[in-house]
Amino acid sequence: MSSSPPEPTEPERRGWAVDVGLVLWPSFLASCAASLLFFAAVDPALLRDAGPRLFADLDREAGYALGFIFFWVVGAIASTLSVYLIRTERSRARAPGPRLP
Amino acid sequence: MTSPHLRLVPQPEPAPFYAAAEKIYPREISGRFTRLREIAVVVLLGLFYGVAWLRWDGHQALLFDLPARKFHIFALTLWPQDFLYLTLLLIIAALSLFFVTALAGRLWCGYACPQTVWTELFVWIEQWTEGKRSRRMKLDRGPWTAEKVLRKSVKQFLWVALAAWTGFTFVGYFTPIRSLGSGIVSLSLGPWSTFWIFLYGLATYGNAGFLREQVCKYMCPYARFQSAMFDKDTLIISYDEARGEPRGPRRRGTVARTAGLGDCIDCTLCVQVCPTGIDIRQGLQYECIACGACIDACDEVMDRMGSARGLIRYTTEHALHARTTHVVRPRMVVYASLLALASGALCYSLFTRMPLILDVIRDRNALYREVRGERIENAYSLKVINLDDKPHAYRLAVSGMPGLELTAPAGPITVASGSVSNIPARLEAPATAASGVHPIVLTLTALDAPRIEVHEKTRFIGPAS
Repeated sequence: MSSSPPEPTEPERRGWAVDVGLVLWPSFLASCAASLLFFAAVDPALLRDAGPRLFADLDREAGYALGFIFFWVVGAIASTLSVYLIRTERSRARAPGPRLP
Repeated sequence: MTSPHLRLVPQPEPAPFYAAAEKIYPREISGRFTRLREIAVVVLLGLFYGVAWLRWDGHQALLFDLPARKFHIFALTLWPQDFLYLTLLLIIAALSLFFVTALAGRLWCGYACPQTVWTELFVWIEQWTEGKRSRRMKLDRGPWTAEKVLRKSVKQFLWVALAAWTGFTFVGYFTPIRSLGSGIVSLSLGPWSTFWIFLYGLATYGNAGFLREQVCKYMCPYARFQSAMFDKDTLIISYDEARGEPRGPRRRGTVARTAGLGDCIDCTLCVQVCPTGIDIRQGLQYECIACGACIDACDEVMDRMGSARGLIRYTTEHALHARTTHVVRPRMVVYASLLALASGALCYSLFTRMPLILDVIRDRNALYREVRGERIENAYSLKVINLDDKPHAYRLAVSGMPGLELTAPAGPITVASGSVSNIPARLEAPATAASGVHPIVLTLTALDAPRIEVHEKTRFIGPAS
C-alpha cells in the first residue's frame, strides 16, 4: 500500500468542523446509553418530587428529553476537554484535521 | 499487504478518488450483489416504515411506549422491571454482529446498516432527479441554470419529505403512531414529540444525504474495531492480485498473458462505483464497507473481455494464498457458544417470566400486638405489582406455622394491568404457638390463572418465651 500516490493532506478548513463532530458525536452516543440505563431505573415523573422548584411542570416526555439533553451536554463537556487537550498539546498543535492517535 | 505501483490512467472524468473530503459520486451499477442490497433496502425499510402501523390485540404491535413506561412487543408486554430482557437482547445483538463479522466480514455494513440503507435510498432519489454519475458531476460543475435549480429543488424536496417521514415513523415507535399522526394533522403536537421528530429527521437528512460515507469513515466506531474480529479465514472482498497484475489497457481479444499483462484492464470502474471512494486493488482497507459494488462492476467487465469472473470477489486471505479456509475455528466456536448461552438465557427467562411481583414489608411500628387476650397479630404492608397485560384477582395464602391465619385482606386482591397496589395485611396466630420468631411464606395466586403464583418469605414474631 506504501507505493500508491500519497493521500492529499487534510485541508485546513476541516479543522473546526471535525472538532465539532468529535465533540457532539461521541457525547451523543454516550447520552443514548446513559439515558437508556438511567431511565430504565428512574421514572422521570419522580423527578417532580425530587425538585419541585426545578421540575414543577415536568411531564414524562419532557423528563426524557431533558435527561437526554443533560447527558449529551455533560458528555459534550468531557469531549470538548479531550479535544482541547489534544489540540493544544505542543507536539500536535500544528497538526490540522482529525489526525488523532 | 503490498501491492504494485498504481498507475493512474487518464480518466474520462477527473474524479479525485483519494480526497476523503471531496464529494463522491458513486457510479450506478447493476449485478448480483447490487440486487441483493436492493432487496435488503426494500425489506428493511419496508419493515421500518410498515411495522409501526401494525396492530396487535388492540394496541400497536411494536411500541416502546415511553410516556406510559411499558414496551409492547406483539403479545409480550415489558415493564421497567424487565430491563434484564433488554440487556440480554442487546448482548445477543452485539454477539451476533461479532459472529457474522468473523464469519463473513462486514455484511452488516454492506447490507443492513441503517446508514447504508438510507444512503442507498437517498442516492436513488438523487439518481432519479439529477441523472447518472457523469450528469451529476456536470450539473454540479455547471452554472445555476433553471434546469439545475429545478432538479436540485425536487431532490431537496423529496429528501426533506423522506427525512420528515422517517423522523415521524421513528418517534412513532416510542409514542403511539396514530395519535402522533392525528396530533400532526390537527397541529396539536407536543413540543417534545416535535423536537424528536425534527432531530431524527435532521439526522436522517444529514447522514444519508450529506455525510454518507464520511459517517463510516470518521464517525463509526464499529468500522474501527471490526478488524479485531477478522482473521485469515474471514470472508472479505478482495482483488486477486496474482491474476490481475500487471494491469493495463489492451485491445479486445488480446490474450493477456502473451501480451505480458494480467487480467485487470485498469478501467477503474471498481473505483468509480465505490460508495466510499477507495481502490479495492490496494488491498483491504477499513473504509471498505463490503457492499460488493466493485465485484459487480468487475464481473461485468470480465464478461465483456471474455475472461472468467471473480478478479474481485468474496474470498478469504487463506483462499487467496491457495490455502484451505476453515469455517469452524476457535474464534467461531467461542462466539457461537456465547451467543447460544445468551439466547438460551433469554428464552428461558422469557418462558418462565412471572408477570407478578409481591413485596412484603413488616410493619415498622410494632413487632406484634396482642388481640383478644389469647392471640398474637403481626401487621405487614404488601406491594403487589401486576406485570401482565390484563387485570387479575389474586388469592393470598399463608403457611409455615401451625395455627397461622390471615385476617386481612378478607377477599381477593384485584390489581389492574401494569399497576401497583399497596395492601395492608394482618396475620394472627394463637399465643401458645407464637412465641419467638417464625419464618413464614406468603403465597399469592391469580384466581383465573393458577400458573401465576409467587411465594415470598417473611417472619412472624411473637413475644419472647
